Formats: sequence, structure tokens, C-alpha cells
Amino acid sequence: MSASSTLLDLHRPGAASDVFAGAPEPLPTAIPAFARRRASIGLPEIAEVDVVRHYTRLSQESHGVDNGPYPLGSCTMKYNPKRNDELAREPGFAQAHPLQRADTLGGVWELYERLQRMICEVTGMDECCLAPAAGAHGELAGLLMIRAHYLHRKEKRPVVLVPDSAHGTNPASASMAGFECRIVPSDLRGRVDLPALREMLTPEVAAFMLTNPSTLGLFEDQIVEIAEAVHANGSLLYYDGANLNALMGIVRPGDMGFDVVHVNVHKTFSTPHGGGGPGAGPVAVKRELAAYLPSPVAVRRQGVAIRDDDRPLSVGKMKSFHGHVGVLLRAYGYLRTMGGKGLREASVHAVLNANYLQHRLSPMLPPVYRQVCKHETLLSGEKLNTSARQFAKRLIDYGIHPPTLVGAGCVYFPGDLKSAMLIEPTETETKASLDYQVGIFQKVFDEDATDEALVESAPLSRKIARIDMKG
Amino acid sequence: MEQRPAGFNVHTGSDVAAMLETMGLRSVEQLFEDIPAQVRLNRELELPPALTEWELKRDVREMAALNRTTTTHVSFLGGGAYDHYIPAVVDAIVSRGEFLTAYTPYQPEMSQGLLQALFEFQTLVGRLLGRECVNCSVYDGATALAEAAWMMCAATGRRKIVVPEALFAEYGAVLQTYLTPRGVTLVHAAANRQTGCTEAKAMQSLVAQGDVAGVILQTPNAFGVVEDVAAVASICREHSALLCVAVNPWLCGWIEAPGSLGADIVTCEGQPLGLPLSSGGPYVGIIACAKPLERFLPGRLVGRVHDLNGKLGYALVKEDREQHVARDKATSHICSNQALNAIRVAVHLACLGEANFMRIAQSNAARAASLRERLVALPGIKSLRSGVHFNEFAIELPMAATTFCDRMSARGLLAGVPIPASLAGHDRSLLIAVTETRSRADIDAYVAQAAVCLTGETA
Repeated sequence: MSASSTLLDLHRPGAASDVFAGAPEPLPTAIPAFARRRASIGLPEIAEVDVVRHYTRLSQESHGVDNGPYPLGSCTMKYNPKRNDELAREPGFAQAHPLQRADTLGGVWELYERLQRMICEVTGMDECCLAPAAGAHGELAGLLMIRAHYLHRKEKRPVVLVPDSAHGTNPASASMAGFECRIVPSDLRGRVDLPALREMLTPEVAAFMLTNPSTLGLFEDQIVEIAEAVHANGSLLYYDGANLNALMGIVRPGDMGFDVVHVNVHKTFSTPHGGGGPGAGPVAVKRELAAYLPSPVAVRRQGVAIRDDDRPLSVGKMKSFHGHVGVLLRAYGYLRTMGGKGLREASVHAVLNANYLQHRLSPMLPPVYRQVCKHETLLSGEKLNTSARQFAKRLIDYGIHPPTLVGAGCVYFPGDLKSAMLIEPTETETKASLDYQVGIFQKVFDEDATDEALVESAPLSRKIARIDMKG
Repeated sequence: MEQRPAGFNVHTGSDVAAMLETMGLRSVEQLFEDIPAQVRLNRELELPPALTEWELKRDVREMAALNRTTTTHVSFLGGGAYDHYIPAVVDAIVSRGEFLTAYTPYQPEMSQGLLQALFEFQTLVGRLLGRECVNCSVYDGATALAEAAWMMCAATGRRKIVVPEALFAEYGAVLQTYLTPRGVTLVHAAANRQTGCTEAKAMQSLVAQGDVAGVILQTPNAFGVVEDVAAVASICREHSALLCVAVNPWLCGWIEAPGSLGADIVTCEGQPLGLPLSSGGPYVGIIACAKPLERFLPGRLVGRVHDLNGKLGYALVKEDREQHVARDKATSHICSNQALNAIRVAVHLACLGEANFMRIAQSNAARAASLRERLVALPGIKSLRSGVHFNEFAIELPMAATTFCDRMSARGLLAGVPIPASLAGHDRSLLIAVTETRSRADIDAYVAQAAVCLTGETA
């Protein structure tokens, strides 16, 4: 066993101890001749202690919020409360089978009905479905509802508009829902170019998808005019909830004029991202669209939460069964712990932290848009001798996860912002942590000025040097 | 007195004051001046009052008590989710914060362990399913099948998919949701009334029309019957249609994997490999395919790469397929996947090893066969569909399946999943699953209680 063992290296024939105590059971039916196994599968046989050590080492060669700062822009890497993990293990939920009769899953519908209502209150919407598996899945659900809405009204609207700074999932989801995508440019202030949007709002447009604050960390301050223009065209306004963490209890998507919203519970509501997932992407809508919500939706009748099976216009099932119950329990735990006051404070502190970092970092990495930001800020690497990428790689040597860069994150920066970095501290970093991060950024900035070769060769502290993506 | 933060927030009143002072601001409200007054929420959110940690635990426990579970009842439910043994090691590993609280590994140098764990997941699953190219997971078994169906359309340029009638209803519904908006036609292939196997002849005539992108099989299917993958694969090859097989992964411990039998794409629900039932999710969808189809795969792929010094490492690769690069031309919109559950699957397989895997698979088949034999010996119960069964089988009852299930439930047993009347032709059929964790005594109890419930008595 070495520091670079693979799982397969640990294989020793017969090394895995028997999980059964007795002899193998005789097979009463013959294995069908058409499918007799010709060869072994090739699963390794490993002693249990070696499995544990292998994965413990792999975990130590990884980085989570539990390890240290993770200011990855647009990903909201806030603290994931341990108490919520415990809720997900509660046997009454963890051991229930999804195909039990609906009336034997009363706890699921109780959880769903409560959480649906809380999400509606936070987003300012009327009804909600918790089934979508992730943000992109919520987008698809929302777009399918928009499609169903216009099909029902016999209106042909095959086009969806997205801003140039939109997450890649927006156009990809639109395309999966059968829409053609058109890109709305940003103006010099980093906001939606309103005159351009007005021009693009033709009778073919079903919806405009918008993230607010945008992936540039800016609040779309013309949102009232945008909503008016979209609605005047008979189109709908879609809210990508990826950046909702900036606005909880301050302003609600529903009040800004959005008709459909998805929420990334693994961002805003603190559920752990698990190295890529699972998340959950509840979708909430205004009353006019509620009939199209995917299945299931929970309702309360005579005080009892039940699954509402009478939804003939529903877009149907987004995935098998009811949704990510184990993830949604954690989101519930978060919302119940924070309460209304705590949520607002979380958003205020998230925005405070981002502006504090923006202010402190601006002598080294000036903000691209010199103004108040929301929960994240886009910083320019123009003063660097090396590059934003190398600056980021050097941060790794100091135990700080780099901010989001083009090519290293799920965002897309339009135009000539390819060397910018998007930094999102989140509200769960203390002032001491932020000051520490500023200190490290300063150190790397100084190294960039005095020892370019050092920064170019980063990272130096990890198991491997910089990955050569061309190689 | 110092103002304390709420919930998981961290700043005290003096922290906030100090930060504002540094920035030359008077109040945090100045950070929100760009939000138009007319849309602001000028009240507190109306959420239920905040709970302490112990109150929260109690609150959730009270909700949990409203669920029946596989611990309060002896369960024979399957239909896509199964109650298998999960070694304690699996939970211990995925509870480690370095995995649990990480994001997608966008910075490979900082995430080598996570990337290696995902790469090894791909390797093990590829071996199990018999196709080498495996992605880092999609949401669940049903969306895996829907994504795979679109892969077949994208790869062939055709827009027709043959779907077996004997497909789990949930899977059929998700196929409909995903494919209809993209203009894909779903045509159905009937199952043989005797055996429950999808009719090869019906398949042949559908595929022979030449406009079919691909064919889907599910094995075991909605009757619990093992499909003849090789036979359908040869029909597909003859007419240059692709074949995707949705398989219960444990079947691959008993018979040849679908990939080795000629399926171009193999999908599965990974829940039976180390994931709790969790009332339906989160689970993990798996897609494995042949090399030429790799560029149509949705989502993340981890590959072996080299660092600048030539040392071997791991990174996300072939990202030009993905939404953050290809945007509306991407193979899929998927961004967040089920990475932690993919690691669960890998740890689970690593704990079991080859011999245990084979024995558990065999034990599932043996126990299911034993219960089936004993049930059809009871007066009033008939076997439904005569094909080869693995871990799941269907019976025909002399009463509505839901009535039978209610009676069994009152006696502490979850008896099975009723098969939709639209598939079985009546409402008297039940799909019953048996896993290695159902003991001889559990099976005895099922038979004894079924005999009582059939006589019409209620508990």
C-alpha cells in the first residue's frame, strides 16, 4: 500500500471476508443458457481495513468547506451544518420505501408540505414542487411548465432568451425543453442591455431566463423595467435561483415579477454538495402556472398533509419517485434553525463579506465593475504578471480553494472577461477568516511581483504539480 | 451587550461594525441601495419560529413517525428500489467532510482524492456492466435511461425510440417527460403474454422500418422477467439501431452483463449498491457505453491525465460535451450530479469484492425463487409470466392487489408493489422482491400470512 495505490492495487484473491455465515444457498432455477456468465466481473478483493485506509487517504487528498475557505464564485460554499446530516439518517425517512402506498408515507408529505410553503414564502411564489434533483433539473422542470402553458393556450412561442453571462445550464436546459436559445448582451455596467432586450422580445419569445444577482455579482437594478417589458410581450420571466443567497428576506423573486423560480438547496440552503452532488432543485411558480407543476406536490387537507394526485395538467415526472428526500430534510433543518430573521441576516452577511473582500482586495485585484456587489464579486487579474490561473493555483499551496475562473467553474463570463475571477466568500466566513484570506492573497500578489517563476510553477505543495490539460 | 449571530451565521455586532468602518460605510443597508424600493420586502419572512438543535431533532422524528418503513414492517417491495445490506464502512467514508462538503472538482490539483475515487467508480462500474465508458453519474436510474435514449438519437440522427411495454411505470413517465419536447417518438414493443419477455418478433418489425435510433430493454423487466438481451442485440445490429439496456446491477452477478451481450449502452439505478432507500432519494443514475458513444455521454467524466512533470493524476476531461462549455449544444444540461452516491457505490463494491457480490446475487435469486415456489403452491395464487426470474417475480391474486397488500400490511408485511392494470390487464397482480436481507423466517412469515389473507380474514 503506497501513497499512490489505486483500489485495484489492493486486490489479493480471497482477501474480502465472507458477508454470509453459512454455505451458499442452492439455486432452484437454472441460469438461462442465453446468458451464462463467461468470465469474472473483475471486482477487487480487499480486506476491510485496507478499504477504509484507501478512502481515508483519498479524502485527505480532497478539499471541502470543512477543511477551509472555499470562495468558489456562484457555488455558495457555506458551512454545511452537521445536525442536518443527522436528520437525513433518521430511520423513519432513511428506511422508507418510495413505492409504499402514499398513505404510509405521511411523514414525507408532511415534510414536503411544510418545505413547499417555506420555499414559497422565501421566493414570493404561490406553489412549489420539490421533485427536481438539482438546479439544472429545476430549470428543465420550469421550462417544461412554460412550454405546457403555451401549448395549452395554443400559442407558438419557440424561443427562450438568456443573458450572455448566464450559467451554461440555462441554454442547455432550454434546448432540452425543445426551445431555441437567443443570447441577450450585457451593457457596460454589467447589467442586461435593456434596449437590446426590448428589441429581442418578439411574439416568438416564451421566456427570459435571468439570474439575479447575475453571475457577475451585480443586482439587475432595472428588474422592474425588465419584468414589465417581458410581461408586456406576453412572455414569462424565469428566475435562476443560483444566487438567491444574496437576497433572502430582502427582496423576493416573486415580488420582482418572476413567474417561475428554481432554488439550489445545495447552495442557498446549505446542503452539502458531496463533491458534485446530490443537490436538489425545487421549482416554485405563480398561481397561473401551478397546474403544470411536476409530480408530486403535497397539499394539506383537514390538517393532514397528503400527496395531491389530482393534477391532470402536470408536466409529469422529472425523475423516479418523489425527489431527494435525504437532501430536502437537510434544507428543512437549515430553514427551521435559521428562521426568518436568521435568513435575512445570512444574506446581509453574505453581501457584507463579499463587499469587504472586494474592498480589501481591490488594490491587488480591482473589481471589474467598480460598484457595490452582492454576494460575490468579479475581480480583474489585469495587474498580475503571471495570470489569474496561476494566481489561483498558488492559492492552493496556502490551503485556499481558488475562486471561479473561466474553465474552472460552472460559469461563463462574456466578452473580454476571460481573465477575471469570481469570488464568493459566503456568510459563514468570520472576519478573521476573511482577513486571513486577504493576507494570503497579498502574499501571492507579492510573489507574483517578485518571483514569477515560483507562481508559474504552482501548485508545489500537492501530490501532483499543475495538470497539463493538453497532455 | 454583544449582538450574537442567528443560526449558523458568524458575525457579532462588533464584527459587522468593524467591517463597515473599514469600508467607510455607516450601515449594511447601503449595500442594498441598488434594489428598487417598490419591490423590497419590508417585513420579516413569515417562517415558523427558529428551533434549537434538540427541538429540530424531535420535530423531524415526529414527522418520521408518520412513515411506515422497512424497519417497522418486513418489506418485499422492489420495483426499482431495494433493501440490501450496506456495510457500515460506506456511511463512515461518505460522512468524511473532505468528500461530503466538497464541490465539483474544478481544481484537480486540490481534489486528487475525490477525482481518484470517482475514476475508480467509473472503472468498477464499467467492469460490472460490461461497457468501458462510464460517466460520474446522473440523477437516478430513470433519468439515466432518458439521457441514454437521447444519446441514441444524437448518435444516429434519428428520432424514434422503441420502448418495451414491460418497463417500470416511473421510467416510462420520465422518458415521456424528457423526450417528447425534443420531438422524439416513443413506440411500444409488447411483452409475450406467457413468458413476460419482450417479443423479439415485435421488436424486429419495428426496427426493420429503418428509422429507429435505438431500442430500450429493461432487465429484469416490470414483470421481474429477465430479458434475452443477446437476441435483441442481434436484431438491432442487423438494422443499425442502437440498444440500451436498463439493468438491475445485481443481475450482473448472476448472468452475463448486458454490455457483454451486445448492449451499446447500459444504464442502471445504483441505489441497490450501497444506498439507503431514503423514501426515494437521493439515488444515483449510472450510464456505461461503448467507446464510439462516449462523446454523446452527459455530465462529468474523470480521466487519467499527467501533470507538468509527467506524473499520473486525475482530472475532469472531455468537458467540451458539457453545458458550461457547449451551452445549448451540450449533450445534456446536467451540472450537479450524484457524485457522493457514486463514491458510495465504489466503496460498497470495494467492501464486498467479487466473491461476495456473486454470492449475494445468487442468494437474491435463490430466496426469490423459494418464495415464488411456495406462494404459487397456495390455492388462489398463480404465477404471472413464466420467464426466467432473478430477484423479483409477479403473482396473480384472487383479489385486488391493493386489498391483499392492506391485509398483509396489517400483519406487519409490505407484500409487494401492485403492477399497473394497464400492463397486467387486471388489478390483481403483484410484483414481489426478495433480497439477501430477508431471512428464511421472513419468507416463512410471508407464506403463512398470505395463506391467512387469502381466506378473506382481516387482522
